[in-house]
Amino acid sequence: MTGETTAALLATTSGGYLLVLAIMLPLIGTIAIVLLGGQRAERVALVVAPLGLVIAAAILASVWSSGQPLVYIVGGWRPPLGLALRSDGISAVMIAITAIVMCATVLFARGQFRGPAPGVEGRAQMVFWSLLLAVWGALNAVFLGDDLFNLYVALELLTFGAVPLVCLDGRAETLSAALRYLLFALMGSVLYLLGVALIYGAYGTLDIVLLAGVVRSEPVIWVAVALMTVGLIAKTALFPLHLWLPNAHAGAPAAASAILSALVVKGSFFLILRLWFDVMPGQIHLPAQILGFLGAGAILLGSVLALRQARLKLLIAYSTIAQIGYLFLLFPLAVGSGIASPFASIAWTAGLLQLASHAFAKAAMFMAAGMIYEALGHDRIDRLGGAGRVVPIAVFAFAIGGLSLMGLPPSGGFSAKWMLLQASVGEGQWWWIIVITLGGLLAAGYIFRVISPTLIQPFPAPELKAVVPVSRQGVALALALFAVLLGFVPLEPWPLLQIGRTAVEAHLP
Amino acid sequence: MNAATLFGLCGAVLVGLGLYGIIVHHEPIRKILAFNLLGGGVFVLFGIIARRGAAAGFGGDPVPQALVITGIVVAFSASAVAVTLVMRLFEVNEAARREARSGHSAEDAG
Amino acid sequence: MTGGSLLLVLSLAFPLVLLLGALSRDLRQHLPRILPYAPVPALATALFASGATFALPDWPLRLTLELDAPGAILLGVAALLWIVAGVAAQGYLRGRSDAGRFSVWWLTTLVGSMGVFIAADLPSFYLLFSMVSLAAYGLVVFDDTPSTRRAGRVYVALAVLGEAFLLLAFVLLSTATADNSLMIRDVVGNLAQSPWRDLTIGLIILGFGIKMGLVPFHVWMPLAYTAAPIPAVAVMSGAAVKAGVIGMIRFLPFDSASSGWGTALVVVGLFSAFYGVAIGITQKNPKTVLAYSSVSQMGVIATVFGMGLSSGDRGVMLGGAFYAAHHILVKGGLFLAIGAAASVGSRRLWPVLLPAAIIALGIGGLPLTGGALAKLAVKDTLGYGLVGTLGALSAAGSTLLMLHFLTCLQAVPIEPKMVRPSSRSALSMVLSPVAPWLAIALAAILVPWVLYLSVLGGSVADALKPYALWSSIWPMLIGGALWSALQRWGNRLPLVPRGDILVFFGAVKPASARCSAAFEQADDYLRRWPVAGLSLLILAVAFGIATFALR
Repeated sequence: MTGETTAALLATTSGGYLLVLAIMLPLIGTIAIVLLGGQRAERVALVVAPLGLVIAAAILASVWSSGQPLVYIVGGWRPPLGLALRSDGISAVMIAITAIVMCATVLFARGQFRGPAPGVEGRAQMVFWSLLLAVWGALNAVFLGDDLFNLYVALELLTFGAVPLVCLDGRAETLSAALRYLLFALMGSVLYLLGVALIYGAYGTLDIVLLAGVVRSEPVIWVAVALMTVGLIAKTALFPLHLWLPNAHAGAPAAASAILSALVVKGSFFLILRLWFDVMPGQIHLPAQILGFLGAGAILLGSVLALRQARLKLLIAYSTIAQIGYLFLLFPLAVGSGIASPFASIAWTAGLLQLASHAFAKAAMFMAAGMIYEALGHDRIDRLGGAGRVVPIAVFAFAIGGLSLMGLPPSGGFSAKWMLLQASVGEGQWWWIIVITLGGLLAAGYIFRVISPTLIQPFPAPELKAVVPVSRQGVALALALFAVLLGFVPLEPWPLLQIGRTAVEAHLP
Repeated sequence: MNAATLFGLCGAVLVGLGLYGIIVHHEPIRKILAFNLLGGGVFVLFGIIARRGAAAGFGGDPVPQALVITGIVVAFSASAVAVTLVMRLFEVNEAARREARSGHSAEDAG
Repeated sequence: MTGGSLLLVLSLAFPLVLLLGALSRDLRQHLPRILPYAPVPALATALFASGATFALPDWPLRLTLELDAPGAILLGVAALLWIVAGVAAQGYLRGRSDAGRFSVWWLTTLVGSMGVFIAADLPSFYLLFSMVSLAAYGLVVFDDTPSTRRAGRVYVALAVLGEAFLLLAFVLLSTATADNSLMIRDVVGNLAQSPWRDLTIGLIILGFGIKMGLVPFHVWMPLAYTAAPIPAVAVMSGAAVKAGVIGMIRFLPFDSASSGWGTALVVVGLFSAFYGVAIGITQKNPKTVLAYSSVSQMGVIATVFGMGLSSGDRGVMLGGAFYAAHHILVKGGLFLAIGAAASVGSRRLWPVLLPAAIIALGIGGLPLTGGALAKLAVKDTLGYGLVGTLGALSAAGSTLLMLHFLTCLQAVPIEPKMVRPSSRSALSMVLSPVAPWLAIALAAILVPWVLYLSVLGGSVADALKPYALWSSIWPMLIGGALWSALQRWGNRLPLVPRGDILVFFGAVKPASARCSAAFEQADDYLRRWPVAGLSLLILAVAFGIATFALR
């Protein structure tokens, strides 16, 4: 492919400004909150959220209808010197998922951090809302970035936004969980940066589209990709690098946990996808198998540990570890035989579907767990009796989300599992079938552990600590229903996910 | 041995030291320091790359320099967040300890 | 849309709409009144819509419904049972504050139970199968006690295991078919060419075998059937369990003979048939006795399917469905009889006991009853060799077990009636469990005759041939002799705990606890900072080497 056609791929398209808006709008919101103070934070977020949703919808609609990626060249400086923002099919999908979960979280968290008087409570309010929007902006930057260094900055922004969300309540346990999270994430990001340095040294560009055209199969890129991958899986908390996740996700306030589990870990996962399928030249069977085995380890370990937890939020956190494991099965299965385009494969769609349905289901479950905690004053699983009476809609939302994790129809979890199994069968990689099936059985076990006590009415009835408004329970239910809706997609590769990717693929040898 | 190799080795040593420190040390402050060391090693590497001028073929490629500056800002903010967390943790623990001690002394007095 | 398609849709949509109504707390309280009407569209479908199809486009909703002859038989008879049991459920729920909750589980199970008989594509079938399996959990644990909770756990564990097997089987079926078709007819028709043919058949047998309660997966049956309230257990044992039967009818490739799996199914089926009787006679609780009888009867049906599979005989689909349809009415009816017996008390037991005796002995093959017809319908399939003889002997076993059941039924204690400040007379309180029972008993005698004459194309003369009569009478005589032996020496039988081989799982428990504790230790270790840091470096090296190794 000549330089001219490559350059043509990287010119601002009509509607490219949407990409800038997607990143800037939440960040402007963050700054506005810092300027206006905690008292008005919630109102700012309530304005930003619907606008963000509209932008996300516009990006998705534009990519879908034109069948072409959206591109914006920042400042008119073309890569390799300048930076590009680019939204292909998967970016558009990720941005849409993020916008939906974010809007739900904003609605769910309304009034949660409002204190009786300005002061310390006002600060918690400001911190939560400004960071929530910052995380949103950072996520969009991760999904849209086309430059590996730019992505590094976005990733760090994401971490800096996410870490303080863990320790909003300022207790010693959550502070140390946040510190652990931050330090490990930093270690990962330095390794990523090291890889970036090596790639720039070898090829003189960091633009993904350009790199795909010049990358050769040689030691420097292998080392770089190995370093970057490991750095990114440390941030994704893939087994065995999950040390920070359980305490961080279980310690955060419910609204923050929902974001952390549903979206933040997916940011770094998304970059691994980019790296492996857009930058790396073919021939990645063996490392893909390693990633798959790590995913299998995560599924088994996370599920068994979830079965053993005494507290609901820790159970959900361990379930996140297991569900992250499923995402990594995408790699060995999509690389697979390597004959057909991996983007067109059923495994690719399955992975993205798993990602989306887990995002909705897990956010709903964390919200539900938070409301159960509010209502009962604790989240010990063996004393959840009567929760079904106290917060019925929240329990229902938890159950629906749980059905998706178990892989029961109709749910995105079912469709994802179906297609993952189909890909394993088709590729002849039988070992994943056992893992997927075992993971489903274990998930049924830990979801059942939570649901069965909520169905009964203990005597004496549990003391009600707080009344949870129906509207907030409804938010969790709506998210869980999104996971159900995903179960109605056709069980075949989505063309949407391949938009903008054939161009990149053409560069591959 | 030319300058580039020498600097490269220096960078590698810094990265190694940083990794060692961040894995082995228990105290958060030391980990933060080790992280900065690690980051320093990577920035040195960027420096060499700029020197080699891989991108444009001229002596001092400006792009890696821009990257290093941005990287330093990011590393600085990271250190700031980490140090803030450490200090906050210390304060909370200290307050808890003081409370426990005063509770003890109150009991002793009673 | 034709009338038939409309009926097909309505048979699922109507109970679903009622379920939606349950979202409102006020409406939920009134739900029990409608329970008997919920299955009416399904009954109408079975009667008037045979051969109808209905399909929604693949996207956004994937749903294909179809009614064939075996499906229609099972659908109609099951709907009949659901209607009658719904009346019984009304009586059971009268005055209970949690009636709404019961109704929600009831209707969900109902949708699944009706749906499996008409679903024509894999995802819909799987969805409806999951509904009928998992929603019944709510019925099992409705009376919350430690023993029902245990029953519920065992039930759900096996149900989920069965669904895991089925999911694998369905994925294999779909993947082996050109363009990954999802229609049941396509994928099963293609099964003979599938590269994973044997594995698929094995998984199908496992998955539906669990639902049918074939040994050794029968352990949930005695537990769940003893735990659930009478109306619920009537529909579970009668209708819900037939999801396994229709599954085998739909998914086993009867077109092409596969003798290996056929023989395996025959062996398992016959073993279950005798095993259920052997354990059943040691039980005292009539609900448990009936549960073991279900194990035995499902074993007979599995044997029929096994014979069909090994010879490649499509006829067993209809014969098996007919046998199962008879079982729906009889087993559901006998469970209702327990409730009726408990409400009338031992002095006025005869209106309950007499019909119970007739239809119970029908399971053993009492001439002129539906049971005799059912046995006749599968007689040729079982053949006249070893399997045929063993099948006849299993009828002797069933006779023995049913006589034992009738003995236990007489000892049912009168239900302590709660004193209710209600104007309802004592008569109606007694009638509410007795009337449905008598209705279903009548249906159990009449409906098989109607089906036999109309759908199976049998004639009265065939059913009354001396040979046919004799072949159903001699096993009953043996059964009767065995029963008198049981009366005499029954107290020497060992006391087998409910769920028999489940006790062996007690030995597995510590091992699994140790295993999961080991996982926790591993997690603890891996989550230490230095260990995780080192893993990070090791992984980086591993990825590097892995890419190098490709050169």
